[in-house]
Amino acid sequence: MPITQKEIKTLARLSRLEFSDGEIERFASEFEEIIEFANRINGQVEGDASSIREVVTRTVKWEDLREDEVKESLPNEKITSNVEAENGYFPVRRVVK
Amino acid sequence: MKYRLVSGLETHVELATATKIFCGCTTAFGGSPNTHCCPVCTGQPGALPVLNKKVVEYAIRAGLATHCSINTTTHLDRKNYCYPDLPKAYQISQFDKPLCEHGYVELESGKRIGITRIHIEEDAGKLVHESGYTYIDYNRGGVPLIEIVSEPDISSPEEAKEYVEKLQLIMRYIGVSDCKMQEGSMRCDVNISVMPEGATEFGTRTEIKNMNSISYIEKAMAYEYERQIEVIESGGQIVQATLRYDERTGETSVMRTKEDAQDYRYFPEPDILTVVIPEEKVEEIRKSLPELPTDKLKRYINDLKINAATAKLLYKYKRVCDFAERAIALGAGVKNTVNLIVGTLYSKLETEEDKEKFALPITAESMAELVKLVDGGKVNITLAQKTLALMAEEGKPVSAYIKPEDMAGMDDGELTDVCRKAVEENPAAVQDFKNGKEKAIFALYGYVKKATQGKADIKKADEIIRKLINR
Repeated sequence: MPITQKEIKTLARLSRLEFSDGEIERFASEFEEIIEFANRINGQVEGDASSIREVVTRTVKWEDLREDEVKESLPNEKITSNVEAENGYFPVRRVVK
Repeated sequence: MKYRLVSGLETHVELATATKIFCGCTTAFGGSPNTHCCPVCTGQPGALPVLNKKVVEYAIRAGLATHCSINTTTHLDRKNYCYPDLPKAYQISQFDKPLCEHGYVELESGKRIGITRIHIEEDAGKLVHESGYTYIDYNRGGVPLIEIVSEPDISSPEEAKEYVEKLQLIMRYIGVSDCKMQEGSMRCDVNISVMPEGATEFGTRTEIKNMNSISYIEKAMAYEYERQIEVIESGGQIVQATLRYDERTGETSVMRTKEDAQDYRYFPEPDILTVVIPEEKVEEIRKSLPELPTDKLKRYINDLKINAATAKLLYKYKRVCDFAERAIALGAGVKNTVNLIVGTLYSKLETEEDKEKFALPITAESMAELVKLVDGGKVNITLAQKTLALMAEEGKPVSAYIKPEDMAGMDDGELTDVCRKAVEENPAAVQDFKNGKEKAIFALYGYVKKATQGKADIKKADEIIRKLINR
């Protein structure tokens, strides 16, 4: 399954990552190998790969779902301890014009 | 050429659970920024989501109330996109196996707007943009939502308005959301396309995002309908795009075109197992549903014989309906009960919210007591209205305002006697009336009113007088 540089560029954009042209070229061929590898699983199950979900699916019972009971949240200082919070907010570079 | 408007709505409704969808943090509105947060709803590495049972229950309630079928085996999916309002860089939502499918909402005309699906998902955080920064508050992140997707069955702004109002009404009736558009607990994305009358293929559609007022939805749709027709008529083509509506200018503008619409790369959420809902649970929820608004309206008109205009004033407010129905169950006549509510109590409940809350200090018991006096002709409607207005303010029982002596003599026998006297002592008026002068009967009403000090039920007196004269 050939992976084009255009697809790598799309993925990079969606992931907010920037790469040089050289990297994109290299990733395209590496991605092809990775997908090739993952595709081997298709030969391991009868029928098509979509049946895998049925095989591996485990279920949760109704009574094991969480009851709607409020638990204490973390204090703001703790939640924001990895950033320099401003008035309790997480500041990031402005995302809209 | 004439064009048809084709529209479908995606409506997000915040569920009224106490906690978030995947953690025990509170869903309370407001609060200082980032104080309703924990490792799960801020997407810390290794934190694992646990699905809130009530979210599933409420979503099923919403599905059943809109005539959907329920998928008793359902799973969640990851919807990937990078934006700071989403700390995990993916939203846990549902893709190919929504909890509810194939329902409808019925409009007053009887037309049904199809519901394609209802799925559960988490809300994103709130962003505040200021100078060079964007500030993030994750209090709303992880608050449970249902997304209700309609079929493209809506063909006018008026229908869109009624559809949204109906949804709002249903969700409030069944208690799953307060649907406050101004607080963001209900928001709509509007899909619109136009097609020439008689065409069989839909035109290219645009989507107006995040509408938070019904009147703006109407205005935006009307604007977009005209805009698309103009583009087509002048030989152009509609570009599939996501639009925003500017409330000040009343115009739509492009947010992003199809080319950079995100590829969400959905896949099954591995952190949450497939949920299996017992059939009995679904039936239990079905049984716990109250009578739905449309059914109530039909019953009021067809069974209780309330006139349509009055019924429409009542059925939207569940608490008012509960009050009226309790009074009626206690023996109060339907007609006098509803007329007194709409005529007198509603003047004390001016806003929609007042009617919804129905926080008047009057019990259904004392309402029934008063109405029964009116039904029995012991108290006339004017006195009843005055009394009810006081009762609704002061919360005292009927006996605080109407003494037994006020009612004395007002039974049908006594009233007939007064009417007979009125006829005997006003021969001229009676003659005029017999000669076809309809208004002459007012003189007789006046006599009755005076003789009874205003206590007589004039409607009843009218019946009696007519009978007496015709004899």
